[in-house]
Amino acid sequence: MRPWYSKAILPTFVGLAYLFLYIPIIVLVVLSFNAVALNLGWQGFSLQWYYELFTSAEIWQALTNSLVVAFCAVALSLLMSVVLVCYGSPLLHSIRWFFYGTLIVPEVVLAVSLLSVFSFLSIPLGLTTLIVSHVLLGLGYTVPIVYARYISLDNRLLEASLDLGATPTQTFFKITLPLLAPALLASSLLVFIISLDDFILSFFCSGATAQTLPMFIFSVIRSGSSPVVNALSTVMLMISSVLVFIFCALQARTRIL
Amino acid sequence: MKMRIYSLIAKEFPFFLVMPALIWQVLFFYVPLLWIVYLSITHVGAPFFNFTLAHYTGLFEAAFFKIIARSLFLAFVNAVICLLIAYPIAYFAARSPRNWRNFFLFLLILPFWTSFVVHVYAWFYVLDTNGLINSTLLKIGLIKEPLAMVNTLFAVFLVMIYCYLPFMVMPLYSALEKFNWTLLEASMDLGATPAKTFFKITVPMTLPSIKTGFFLVFVPSFGEFVIPALLGGSKKMYVGSLIYHYFLVARDAVTGAAFTCLSSLILVAACLIIAWGFRKIFAGSGGVAQ
Repeated sequence: MRPWYSKAILPTFVGLAYLFLYIPIIVLVVLSFNAVALNLGWQGFSLQWYYELFTSAEIWQALTNSLVVAFCAVALSLLMSVVLVCYGSPLLHSIRWFFYGTLIVPEVVLAVSLLSVFSFLSIPLGLTTLIVSHVLLGLGYTVPIVYARYISLDNRLLEASLDLGATPTQTFFKITLPLLAPALLASSLLVFIISLDDFILSFFCSGATAQTLPMFIFSVIRSGSSPVVNALSTVMLMISSVLVFIFCALQARTRIL
Repeated sequence: MKMRIYSLIAKEFPFFLVMPALIWQVLFFYVPLLWIVYLSITHVGAPFFNFTLAHYTGLFEAAFFKIIARSLFLAFVNAVICLLIAYPIAYFAARSPRNWRNFFLFLLILPFWTSFVVHVYAWFYVLDTNGLINSTLLKIGLIKEPLAMVNTLFAVFLVMIYCYLPFMVMPLYSALEKFNWTLLEASMDLGATPAKTFFKITVPMTLPSIKTGFFLVFVPSFGEFVIPALLGGSKKMYVGSLIYHYFLVARDAVTGAAFTCLSSLILVAACLIIAWGFRKIFAGSGGVAQ
């Protein structure tokens, strides 16, 4: 007979693991409402760090950069992968592992090789190079996801559409694209979050001019802590959790991944 | 004439549509990687294709191999601990009622999708001399003086595990979710102990995912430089931090390229050895699964 406590071991362990995952986040969120700047424990509720956050020009600039890069990365990588998947020949489909490389190579290696090519061609580092690198990162996720959805589509629907006299372009916009929609939404969310949170590629490929939010946080940590960053991190956590929630709901409904 | 060109374009249109993604991938992924290799084996400032191994000879020193060995050790231990923690979590989530599964999954990937720079930052408040752990332990009276945890190997390991855990849980969960649990009942019915069932049925059945998760953690943590840079103090160098140093601080791209290639080669070798080890350990038990 198994002892009475054997049933409790697994839930206890999992509970502790979840605690481990959430303790730092909870501490951060709580301290963002703390009245004092120093790490001296709880001293009273205050919203002053949020006020400073929304009035800091540097943070707004970093946020703008992050958003511009993320939107460009999503738009470009999605567009390119959709046309690749929908118009590619079987030969092109067979070399889709071409795009998996981005996920296998350590990010530092990718970052320094991009950096050295940029500096060899004397391309100035800035938002453009940042977007280039993030689109590359995005392609590694969008191509597999869109492809997986595309091959699971019912081919008879496309054939019926063509049979009934629709042109290939009409078929693409009226049949293929709506059927691909869940995969498109999921992969754009994924790429958006990844781009927004990416640090290593941004750090190497952006130079001194275009600072993104993670880079801003990194530079603050290097020079000591700042309660404004607590508030910033809390806001970023909120945004991410909303996006992840949408992503999870989508995934549960359509099982795309 | 004009019509013919139009029809020609219309016919070739898919081809031109397909190209951008491929060009992008080749131009900004494969070319830069080859460029790094090329940089590391040519003379500086010499005309093209003037090959040399001079940049590598400087790297054959104990100090460099110590750094690579340290990173390998960090990555390996990180992957092993992640596996040991992630397996029970994935198992628990996969066996819980269907309505709860998505909730557990959501809780699990939520920290994963928030910037890991934020995580590292948050851990400061937990590990610092007047952080959460120290102040709690002092209040209870378990310790008299605050423990120094920031800038130690312990902190690096803790935060590495924290940041890479989801990479391990996701593949394990997706394998265990599809797992045929009646196999366990069959095994128990035939007289196997729970432990024997676990190691003879569950583990071999999920072995592909264990491998995937292991490499998903092992490879990126080999090149990790943010966590050691922020939490490990400045004394200990890792592969990622040395590459960063060569390219952005010392501005010595050639030696940096050589070091990047050398450590990548060693990483590939390490992955092959680990893959061989997986095959060796589970050589006999695979037959049960199929």
